[in-house]
Amino acid sequence: MAEMWISMGPQHPMTHGLWTLKVKVDGETIVDADPELGYLHRSVEKMGERRKYFMNTTLTDRLCYASSTTWTHSYVLAVEELMEVEVPTRAQYIRTIMLELQRLASHLMWAGAYMPDLGHITGALYFWRDRELFLNLLELPSGSRLLYNYMRIGGVKRDLPDGFEQKTERILKLFEQRLDEYADLFENSKIFRMRTEDVGKFTGTQAMNMGITGPNLRGCGIKHDLRVEDTYEIYEEVDWDICTREAGPGYSDCFSRYMVRIDEMKESVRIIRDCFKKMPQGPTMSSRVPVRASGEAFRRTEDSRGEALMYLVGDGSDRPYRWKIKSPMFTTISACPHYLKGYKLADIPAIMGSIDICIGETDK
Amino acid sequence: MNFKDLQKELKAIKGVSNLSLIRKNVIKIDLEKAVSKACFTKLKEDFYFEHCSLITAVDNQPDFELVYHLSCLSGELTVDDTKMSAMIEIHIHLKRDSPSIDSVSDLWFGANWHEREAFDLMGIYFIGHPDLRRVLLPEGFAGHPLRKDYVYEIHEEEW
Repeated sequence: MAEMWISMGPQHPMTHGLWTLKVKVDGETIVDADPELGYLHRSVEKMGERRKYFMNTTLTDRLCYASSTTWTHSYVLAVEELMEVEVPTRAQYIRTIMLELQRLASHLMWAGAYMPDLGHITGALYFWRDRELFLNLLELPSGSRLLYNYMRIGGVKRDLPDGFEQKTERILKLFEQRLDEYADLFENSKIFRMRTEDVGKFTGTQAMNMGITGPNLRGCGIKHDLRVEDTYEIYEEVDWDICTREAGPGYSDCFSRYMVRIDEMKESVRIIRDCFKKMPQGPTMSSRVPVRASGEAFRRTEDSRGEALMYLVGDGSDRPYRWKIKSPMFTTISACPHYLKGYKLADIPAIMGSIDICIGETDK
Repeated sequence: MNFKDLQKELKAIKGVSNLSLIRKNVIKIDLEKAVSKACFTKLKEDFYFEHCSLITAVDNQPDFELVYHLSCLSGELTVDDTKMSAMIEIHIHLKRDSPSIDSVSDLWFGANWHEREAFDLMGIYFIGHPDLRRVLLPEGFAGHPLRKDYVYEIHEEEW
């Protein structure tokens, strides 16, 4: 059969954001692919060069609409490295709690978006119902539900409100029960497994070379998590384990990548509980936060989607001279010809959904 | 491989200078442009830097500086007594009148789009890149906006 190019996007249910995937098909089989970005490019890096350091947290909040606090945190961490600011211990605990709540919300957002990709509308409603609970929690200290602007250079905006721990505990308990219910609904469902098992395979070695990080890499059985390997905040002091899954020896498929995220949510619950147990009293903001900075610094953090890296150069003024955002999805999308090749056209939503795309941070 | 041995061996490579430790697990080096490809090949093949985290350029008027971040994900390069994995930051100086360098996208596929982005926004040419097109900006866009001499067409407002 003659080969032809099909354009999926920029408006297509598969895309989860604004991008185009051009696929070359031979009949129903994918031969080649060419992803195209840039529809959502807002030149955040250039805008950041004209704003003061502390103003940029509003921009970083808008990098990813599903996981905004983790991106602001990544930026704030790099600025603190550049300015050599010490963060009080209580603020570090609060940050960790917020990051893990955000990770839960982000993974639930992803799971909810993944289910309709596979034709399972009920799944979307279940997962998004739970995401709502975590948005309620994130709203309590920060005051907003999507763009929190809670992480500040040198600490956090304000202390946790009264009764936050009890409310969180109540929701975590409910959420754990629900995750067990969902296991029957999704993981043990024959239809769900038929759509996801043995689809979109890549090995761990390939993944590292292609720049795939985060849950997608841990789905290949590689024990890599920047929360441990380039540790920040208080992840070292809290009890938790890195989750890995494998579809087979050293490779992942859509199902193992799904399971890694479910495991990670359970692990996040553990981290939050342990943080509350160990959290000390004290200030939540550093007493000395400079305005100007010079030199260069970078920090990488484990975003909900993989390795986030912020690289900053200061020239002694109150604005960054150069600010570079590394998004994990940028390279993961670039590698999509590799893991799409050989599968059927109908598998594209299942594969592209399983890597958890967020275009906001990718296009910057 | 031991983290201390790594630093020793890095110092022995031709073209490497100013080796310093900027964090517990991060080494920073300067590299000469002429031997960059040979050094990158060595870093990948012999020193377990199997992941290219970032390639970016800084416009230090008048010249450019390329910054590479390479990391090890498989746990082969852990820093003594910690679970932290090693990372390397490489700086390469580029003259403004010839902003080109050998591409490393044949070593790391993940470097492909980082190089495209550096070309798109900063105008660095990567020799031997399989597909050096703009990635974020539309085709036919004039200029490279992250360069400091890029002129805005719109009125600039002071914040």
